[in-house]
Amino acid sequence: MAALPGIAQEVIDETLAREQTSLWADAWRRLRRNRLALASAVFLTLLILVAILAQFWTPYSYFAQGIGPIYQGPTAQHPLGLDNFGRDILSRIMLGAQISLKVGIGTQVIVIVVGVVVGLLAGFYRGFVDVVISFVINIFYGIPDLLVALTLVLLLGRSLGIIIFAIAFTQWMNMARLVRGQTLALREREFVEAARSGGAKANRIIFRHILPNALGPIIVQATIGVPMAILFEAFLSFLGLGVPPPTPSWGAMAADGFHAIRISPHIVLAPAIALSLTLMAFNFLGDGLRDALDPRQKR
Amino acid sequence: MSQPVLQVKDLRTQFFTDDGVVQAVDGVSFDLNPGETLGIVGESGCGKSVTALSILRLVQEPGRIVGGQILFRGSDIVKMSEEEVREIRGQDIAMIFQDPLSSLNPVLTVGFQIEEAIRAHRHVPEKMALSEAVELLKQVRIPAAESRVHDYPHQFSGGMRQRAMIAMGLANRPSILIADEPTTALDVTVQAQILELLRDLNRDLNTAIILITHNMGVVAGLCTRVLVMYAGRVVESGPVERIFKNPQHPYTWSLLQSIPRLDSDRHDRLLSIEGLPPDLIKPPHGCRFHPRCQFKINRCLSDDPVLMDVGPDQEAACWVTMRRALSKNGEQLA
Repeated sequence: MAALPGIAQEVIDETLAREQTSLWADAWRRLRRNRLALASAVFLTLLILVAILAQFWTPYSYFAQGIGPIYQGPTAQHPLGLDNFGRDILSRIMLGAQISLKVGIGTQVIVIVVGVVVGLLAGFYRGFVDVVISFVINIFYGIPDLLVALTLVLLLGRSLGIIIFAIAFTQWMNMARLVRGQTLALREREFVEAARSGGAKANRIIFRHILPNALGPIIVQATIGVPMAILFEAFLSFLGLGVPPPTPSWGAMAADGFHAIRISPHIVLAPAIALSLTLMAFNFLGDGLRDALDPRQKR
Repeated sequence: MSQPVLQVKDLRTQFFTDDGVVQAVDGVSFDLNPGETLGIVGESGCGKSVTALSILRLVQEPGRIVGGQILFRGSDIVKMSEEEVREIRGQDIAMIFQDPLSSLNPVLTVGFQIEEAIRAHRHVPEKMALSEAVELLKQVRIPAAESRVHDYPHQFSGGMRQRAMIAMGLANRPSILIADEPTTALDVTVQAQILELLRDLNRDLNTAIILITHNMGVVAGLCTRVLVMYAGRVVESGPVERIFKNPQHPYTWSLLQSIPRLDSDRHDRLLSIEGLPPDLIKPPHGCRFHPRCQFKINRCLSDDPVLMDVGPDQEAACWVTMRRALSKNGEQLA
């Protein structure tokens, strides 16, 4: 290209080399404008810090019983009061956060790995592979989640790992179906054809071209999946099928206080509020991410 | 005459749809010599793009190549294994598409995509691939290539994206570059630049180019030989000057008539070809162009014309011209 007269080549180069804005930088910029999502992100960061802290330090031991009068309401020493065994509720909430996050994030890791791979295969290869995978997905949708999870927990035991596995077992289809749909749409895009015409191998097309383009919806789906898993675990624990006591789970804590809800509602309220705030935060963040990662909303 | 680098013989590609079998490409044959620029023209849906996709075996279900041969340096692409075709794609025969924006992956940098094209066929360390990518971008005249190589496609203008696509296509010095409507999505000044670029690359690198377009002007500007397609068939082929000066098929003639001209009288009506392209599930009997042809004779309704020599290096499939050509030589039509 011929240089324009009177303008130094460096000036032209400078002007032509514009600011680098990747899709992710764009998304981050949009997310920052969403106050609710940002507040949720801050809340969740604090929650994660608390969960990490609980690993090393809690105000009182989470399982020590009778450190004060049972059913005692909030006091200066025990800001959230004591439960039916006289255990410090704040300490148990802190450790409960750890359990909830482990369950929420753990299940989504499994869900992402299984769902994304299965969905990519079904969407990319279509035909027989898709028929089989879609059939399995539909069968899983047909079986009641609770029944599957309960059976698994009863058969395999009540450890945290088993519970995470059981919840992932009932949730992977959502991700698989989403990724399958995304892949079906993306494989028809011209850049996939262009990559193919350039001699790219199938796995390269799948993981380099299709997957990165589906990443936005996958992240959103995973973020929405976290509260679903946390709620499911709380539910299982509430039924007495969660993590075995004395490990505090928010669901189990609510169950502990349930029978005394009239005389000392704080035992139920504390985990219920913690659970609600966490679920809301994840949902708001998920919503915010959905808006931020949608390239059609270029603002 | 050197050996053709690509020979397409009686290629048939069909789409098996719920409504019936669409004969998208129905017996297309042509040769491509090294360094030649061949234009394939015709209106939408005449099988140009499917022909191009068939050459690289990129036709997707429900489409299938059902017959014919595609000989690349003597070996038949139709019969190759998927792995063998993959080796040819991008390395020996590269393709660039109509819409450069949708052909580039929006979440990957332009440089990365060029590097990928390089590394799909050669084991090149990352650093060298990057510098090769910069070289390629310079070759297609992208200014400040060193920094633009890290840009994402949306930071490129339309013309630059098409240049980047061409750079990807050239990454492995292919002997054939198939350009499927490379200028359609671009505005006219950029079109001219891209055509000039293709012409220079053809001259400097001796890359044979198959240019697919519905734009006669683009053909005139770049190609040495032209193939006119109608309804899945070649209706006329020949050197570009002959086709433009002395078209022998009524369809070619109508196409040329329907180009707006700067020097025409402003009151002249622009000629358009009446009717619609035929349904390729049930193509018309006889000559496929006869329902829209101004010159048709009775024979056109019943018999299918074949390609016959109608001039030096020029062929056409039309009963009317054939009769004229034969009577000139004093022969009788069988």
